[in-house]
Amino acid sequence: MMIDDDEEDQWIIREALKAFDIGDIATYVSNGKDALSRLDSDYSKEQHLPRLIVLDLNMPLMNGTATLGKLKADQRFRNIPVVIYSTSINPFEKDKCMQLGAQIYITKPISIEESMRTVEIFLSFCR
Amino acid sequence: MQEIAKVTLENELDLILAHKRTMKLAELACLSLSAQTTFATAVSEVSRSIIDGKHKGYITLSVETDANETYIVASLRDGRLHDANSLEGLSYAKRLVNKYQLVVNRNETVVQLYYFIAPPFRIDILKLDEWRNIFRNEPPISPYEELKRKNEQLQDLSEKIQKSEGQYRTLTNSLPLIIFSLDFNGKLLYANDWLLRFTGETLHTLNAGGWEKVVHPNDIQAFMHLLESKVPASSSAIQTQVRLRHKINDVYLWHQISLSAFVNEKNEPQYWIGYVVDIHAQKVYEETLKDNFELKETQARLQENQHEMENIIGELNRSNQELEQFAYIASHDLQEPVRKLLFYSDALQKKYSAAIDETGRGYFKNMRDSAMRMRTMILDLLSFSQVNKAQIQLSETDLNEVVAIALQDLDVLIKEHAAVVNTSTLPVIMGDSRMMRQLFENLICNAVKFHQPGVMPDISISCAVKNDKYEIAVADNGIGFDEKYLEQMFHLFQRLHSRDQYEGTGLGLAICRKIVELHKGTIWASSTEGVGSVFYITIPVGTKNAVDELI
Repeated sequence: MMIDDDEEDQWIIREALKAFDIGDIATYVSNGKDALSRLDSDYSKEQHLPRLIVLDLNMPLMNGTATLGKLKADQRFRNIPVVIYSTSINPFEKDKCMQLGAQIYITKPISIEESMRTVEIFLSFCR
Repeated sequence: MQEIAKVTLENELDLILAHKRTMKLAELACLSLSAQTTFATAVSEVSRSIIDGKHKGYITLSVETDANETYIVASLRDGRLHDANSLEGLSYAKRLVNKYQLVVNRNETVVQLYYFIAPPFRIDILKLDEWRNIFRNEPPISPYEELKRKNEQLQDLSEKIQKSEGQYRTLTNSLPLIIFSLDFNGKLLYANDWLLRFTGETLHTLNAGGWEKVVHPNDIQAFMHLLESKVPASSSAIQTQVRLRHKINDVYLWHQISLSAFVNEKNEPQYWIGYVVDIHAQKVYEETLKDNFELKETQARLQENQHEMENIIGELNRSNQELEQFAYIASHDLQEPVRKLLFYSDALQKKYSAAIDETGRGYFKNMRDSAMRMRTMILDLLSFSQVNKAQIQLSETDLNEVVAIALQDLDVLIKEHAAVVNTSTLPVIMGDSRMMRQLFENLICNAVKFHQPGVMPDISISCAVKNDKYEIAVADNGIGFDEKYLEQMFHLFQRLHSRDQYEGTGLGLAICRKIVELHKGTIWASSTEGVGSVFYITIPVGTKNAVDELI
């Protein structure tokens, strides 16, 4: 599951995924609030939970760190690995996310090559 | 004894007057004509002896009443000493009166002749007053008598004046202020005792030029001006304040001098009269009040200033915080579109390179380079905004480790330029390791970047202890710079070289300075163009607590 309000960033990941020949396996939501309600409904319908959550930090309604806090405080979702995926290079924000239980902190790519490497990292967490 | 009249005995004319007065008293007492003549003759006999002496004799006519008997009495005084024999007229006179008395005092002789008044005739106080009036208003019998009476009155008046003046003198001398009179040349005519008691100077010593010993040096000029009557005499009083020296305590005390011109009946000024009064206590009180007032005013101003300063500091802090926040938000939000620009230009280049020619690909490269530069600048700005008080995290930081990590980070750059970096042992300091790492990265990066063309960068990092401070030097053999740009170099966006020559955002040294200053240190450099530069950093040697207090 990718949580990011930036549709272009969603597109970049979607495009990169194509290269790995595994189809569009991701679901996309544009803020933490939507993400939590989606997870909640999936859980109650006993559907599969995502194997990885890719989380942006700057988002409307519920930002990344708040979403991360909620996820890690919830028995049902706390074991899903979370990758922070942000433009921010603020080391304090990074430290905070790591403390809250994020797996890794990745800055958004500036080239196709980087986007491929990023997706590779994402997939490594799904195995 | 009730006195009725008095006649001096100095010459023949007095003798006649005394006789006449005696006759009159006897007449008033209702004595027979022969009795009147007898008593008057007795008085004349004695009077003649006194007149001859010319020793301020006089005769007093009185009435004496004891329990049963009433007498008219003539008391004759002579300024010489007599006995019964030496007073020629007495031997005859004593036979003419009812009784007599001769008293010889220390410096005068008094003869009293008594003449008895028969009982039916009574004398009371009213009668005595009536008699005194008769004698006072009796028309003069001769011009001589007129003259004499005037003289007597004058004498009387003079005595009274003398007595009154004596009283005044006693009074003025007992006052704790100087009372004086002064002629128009500034000479004292009179002064009471207080002048001497206070100043230790007499009227004469002051008139002889003694004022300078008494009047305070700062006041003497104005005082002499007043004294020498350069101030015109007017009807209104002139007042001035001077300090006068107290002879016993040897201190100058403030006095008020008040002068008024004394005028005669034609309103012409005759001389000055005045007084000098001690107003020191009042003056001190006034000055204390004034000082107090000034003190309060100053205090109020100080408080106002402090308040203003606090406001300004608050405002400054707020605007500083806002600026830092602004820099962070701006650089974060600016980064987003630049990242996209980079990504899409990359995508274009990769996927459509076949569709564009060599020139087009050149344009793409330039576009991408510009976007990269912008990204670097934004990242530098972001890190600059993050170097601030709120972000600093102090811990024991081994600079040897910090430099090692920095060199690792710069590995690519160092290898690219085949740079040599020598590091001597560096201290462990209290500092923010992340900021320290950035500091050394920036300095080493600059040292490598600004190398002389064709010369391998040779960099050495060393440390000395000076005045309780570590002085760390980063020296290179680079192109150097003109030291007149030294101050400017550490400011934001200051570049000494064009971008074509050397890459950079102009933020590196500004970040360095901010980091060093956050550690209560200083940073400066020395350089020779074409030889190399040395950047110096000082950081206080201290325990964690000491540094915490500093920061």
